[in-house]
Amino acid sequence: MVGPVLIVGAGVAGMTAAVELADAGVHTVLVERLSTVGGNALRLYKAFPTDDCFFCFEGNRWRPGIRKCFYRSALTDQPNIDLRVNTTVVDISGTPGSFTVRLRTEPTYVDPKKCILCGLCTTRSEAFKLSSPQCQPQTVSVDPTLLDDEARRVASECPTHAIDLDATPSEDTLVVSDIVIATGYHEFKPQGVQEYGYGEHPNIITQLELAEMLDPTGPSGGVLLRPSDGAPVERVMMVQCVGSRSVDHFPFCSKICCVFALKHANIIAQEHNGIRVDVVYMDIRTYDRHERYYRMARRAGVGFIRGRVSRVVPRDDGRLDVVIYDSLLDQYLQYEVDLFVLSSALEPSEGTAALISQLGLQDRSGFVAPVEDGSVDGVMAGDHVFVCGTALGPAEVPESVTQARAVVSRILQGGV
Amino acid sequence: MPTYNLYMGCSVPANYPNYEISMLKVAEALGIDLVYMEGVGCCGSPNLRAIDYFGWLLVNARTLAIAEKSGHDVVTPCNGCFGSLKDVHHFLLHNSEYRTRVNEELNSEGLEFTGRVRPRHFIEVLYTDIGIDAIREKVTRPLDGVGIAIHYGCHLLRPADVTEFDPAILDELVRVTGATVVEYPLWKQCCGATVLPVNEALAVRLARDKLKSIKEAGASFITVVCPACGNQLDLQQLGLKTSYGEVYDLPVLLYPQILALAMGMSEDEIGLEMNRVPAQPILEHLTG
Amino acid sequence: MSEAGEHSTTPVTLVDPIDISTLDPHFRNEIRSMPNGDDLYACFACTTCTAACPIACQWTYKPHQLIRMILLGMRNEVLSSKEIWECLTCFQCQERCPQGVRVTDIIFDCKNLAAEEGLVPENILGLGRQLLESGQLYQVTADWEREDLGLEPEVPGLDPEPMKAILHGTRTGRLVGGGD
Ligand SMILES: Cc1cc2nc3c(=O)[nH]c(=O)nc-3n(C[C@H](O)[C@H](O)[C@H](O)COP(=O)(O)OP(=O)(O)OC[C@H]3O[C@@H](n4cnc5c(N)ncnc54)[C@H](O)[C@@H]3O)c2cc1C
Ligand code: SF4
Ligand code: SF4
Ligand code: SF4
Ligand code: SF4
Repeated sequence: MVGPVLIVGAGVAGMTAAVELADAGVHTVLVERLSTVGGNALRLYKAFPTDDCFFCFEGNRWRPGIRKCFYRSALTDQPNIDLRVNTTVVDISGTPGSFTVRLRTEPTYVDPKKCILCGLCTTRSEAFKLSSPQCQPQTVSVDPTLLDDEARRVASECPTHAIDLDATPSEDTLVVSDIVIATGYHEFKPQGVQEYGYGEHPNIITQLELAEMLDPTGPSGGVLLRPSDGAPVERVMMVQCVGSRSVDHFPFCSKICCVFALKHANIIAQEHNGIRVDVVYMDIRTYDRHERYYRMARRAGVGFIRGRVSRVVPRDDGRLDVVIYDSLLDQYLQYEVDLFVLSSALEPSEGTAALISQLGLQDRSGFVAPVEDGSVDGVMAGDHVFVCGTALGPAEVPESVTQARAVVSRILQGGV
Repeated sequence: MPTYNLYMGCSVPANYPNYEISMLKVAEALGIDLVYMEGVGCCGSPNLRAIDYFGWLLVNARTLAIAEKSGHDVVTPCNGCFGSLKDVHHFLLHNSEYRTRVNEELNSEGLEFTGRVRPRHFIEVLYTDIGIDAIREKVTRPLDGVGIAIHYGCHLLRPADVTEFDPAILDELVRVTGATVVEYPLWKQCCGATVLPVNEALAVRLARDKLKSIKEAGASFITVVCPACGNQLDLQQLGLKTSYGEVYDLPVLLYPQILALAMGMSEDEIGLEMNRVPAQPILEHLTG
Repeated sequence: MSEAGEHSTTPVTLVDPIDISTLDPHFRNEIRSMPNGDDLYACFACTTCTAACPIACQWTYKPHQLIRMILLGMRNEVLSSKEIWECLTCFQCQERCPQGVRVTDIIFDCKNLAAEEGLVPENILGLGRQLLESGQLYQVTADWEREDLGLEPEVPGLDPEPMKAILHGTRTGRLVGGGD
């Protein structure tokens, strides 16, 4: 008997697996560490390969509707899905086909079924905020470290009595037939890569941070401003392979950073008139169909410099002087830039290592490795244990979805 | 009898009357009517294109516009002229802004470029309009397997989207004379003629590379379809004898000379003694 | 970055970089607006052109570097280079470029820009002068050779005058004098 199935991580991959299993009649428990589903894709603006906006809303900005592509309505409406946010797996025992899992759920403090997003709490206290216009469940999240007297007052005034600040963590133990690991990735914060000065100057950021700046629903409304002083950005420089392809950090190629860097470069070149973008690279790896982003970027006038950064020196006027060795010309070039964007490696998300050891799986550079004699789809990690999406290693959304579907088909066939 | 506008350019008549006469003789024997164009001159060469693109466009557009009056295609024996005419023809056909500007100038002579006559190389006319079979019928003294290396010349082959010339044409034209085509690695490489004005040493080295490659491949002689390539490969052999002490002994024949010989014409008729590296020894051997 | 921290003065270094702000950012658009220059942008520095070029081994600036320099805006360096004039115009680079960059045509464009600035090698200028003054690059000198072969001593139909007239009105005239 298949099910219930535990899915760990509600990013694109986990959501896909959950919805498709549920639609096939299998009871699924979808566990997400954060207060919202969506994972990393929640923070992206336009998506390759279609250039669609990740935020396909219905309705207005404040009360946005459902992002259809990620099945989010299904996550709350489909009775076979038991979505548990703010939840992690504490431990796993039992045998394949009949695992016993212990889950711990931190309080959410707000009941999404009651909250009508009236905006009262969020306008009055910092402790309450909408984590993203696209968050799901569509409700306010609470930062417990900011709970003060005003917050408590506001809580009591909630028109629908949705807020319960006395909520406490809870634990639950379930028996599941199969486990799907969809814990995704984390963007490496490259403090450790000295020459780029990440963390030492506010105008030195990563691509995910840039994605948030480009987001029209984000804090700056999609306008590029220097974090240091809010001055408009005129020059952007990106650096590829930060942390990736390095024996000192991550030996692998993060695979999609060339594509998303060029996606961002194109958005800037096409939607932000007059901002100059240059990309410093050692190889541009816009694999298969994504080559067109590379050509598009060149057509849009994005500059490409094959070489590496010699040094980054902050100037008094808020800009950075960047010296680059251009290996094609065998010359050093000096640029002045407002925003220095690092295409940082994608590393396994926190907690993946624990799952690997709890289940006795193999790891591949920290990501979950498929079993060697598994099928060609490469989504089997162990007996009744599956893995999909970026928990396997860097991947794009369509690939993550395809892997999730492969997992679903394996489980429906009896988990082998 | 097919009729063509014959565009000689300046180099063939001045430096290679043997090319001119052998082309005319072959044409006559094959029933091709070549009519010297009236009122035309030099194509300007890539040198003019380099310093004065618009002047170069005008000069060549004018030649094509004159040809349009009779409507016959323009035929040239020179790769330089072919390259210039083809490039200008292609460019103006695809660029209406320049076409308008050029026609504004040509207007004063009552001329207009529309692109309706095509510039063509003489050998392509031989191949396409006369045909290998018709040529074969006229071959009375086949060259009996002698190994010939072909130097096509850059501006005949490239850029291919402009010149639209298939190198296999020249291969077949050589084979129909009874000769064998000797393949050699550097067949695409430039003879070096164009760099003579700015770096003669480099030009010599390019010719040398080419000749070496041909010699090593075992060819008995070389055929060319351009006065500049011919001059470079022929003349530099004399220079290489003194500068490098190397003897190549590779006679350089213009293609119509080869065809004329195969068609039974005499060496005198086609000015063979004007070729610098003597061709007689091989031919004597051939005709035995 | 580490240099910046303790020694906040200009870092002491032997590296003397090219300051991008001193280059000409319009150079690439200038070339793109010239005949067959539009595909310049597509270059991705694969170096196929240089691999195809029979003489790049002799050059300081290889073909892919010339294209790169145009994209960067190194106008003076490109227009005063000897390389653009030594180019054989053999089109091997252009023919093989996997991105459709018309490399040889672009080198022609560079030569035209160089000519506009008067940067033409003496011998090429001499050829320009010859075209302007005689209307042709080669003139028949040994007409007896033609006659021996049964050709007319004068080339039938030849008229060098129109070319002279044309070139007097174009850049050649301005370059080598005699123009108005
Ligand atoms: C800057 C940038 C731009 C991108 N642009 C594009 C693009 O344009 N198009 C495209 O196709 N792809 C793009 N991607 C890639 C895209 O983000 C991923 O392919 C996709 O988000 C992967 O989804 P996932 O479900 O595998 O992982 P994630 O999105 O990482 O989801 C994993 C989820 O699991 C949760 N989780 C992790 N560990 C645990 C745990 N132990 N317990 C419980 N929950 C846990 C996380 O909180 C998260 O919600 C981009 C990536 C970056 C960095
Ligand atoms: S006050 Fe209550 S209903 Fe209004 S947004 Fe806050 S939690 Fe939701
Ligand atoms: S995808 Fe590009 S930036 Fe990312 S690691 Fe690979 S080569 Fe480097
Ligand atoms: S071959 Fe084309 S794409 Fe490659 S470097 Fe040369 S011009 Fe650029
Ligand atoms: S055209 Fe010029 S640059 Fe191109 S391959 Fe020939 S010599 Fe080299």
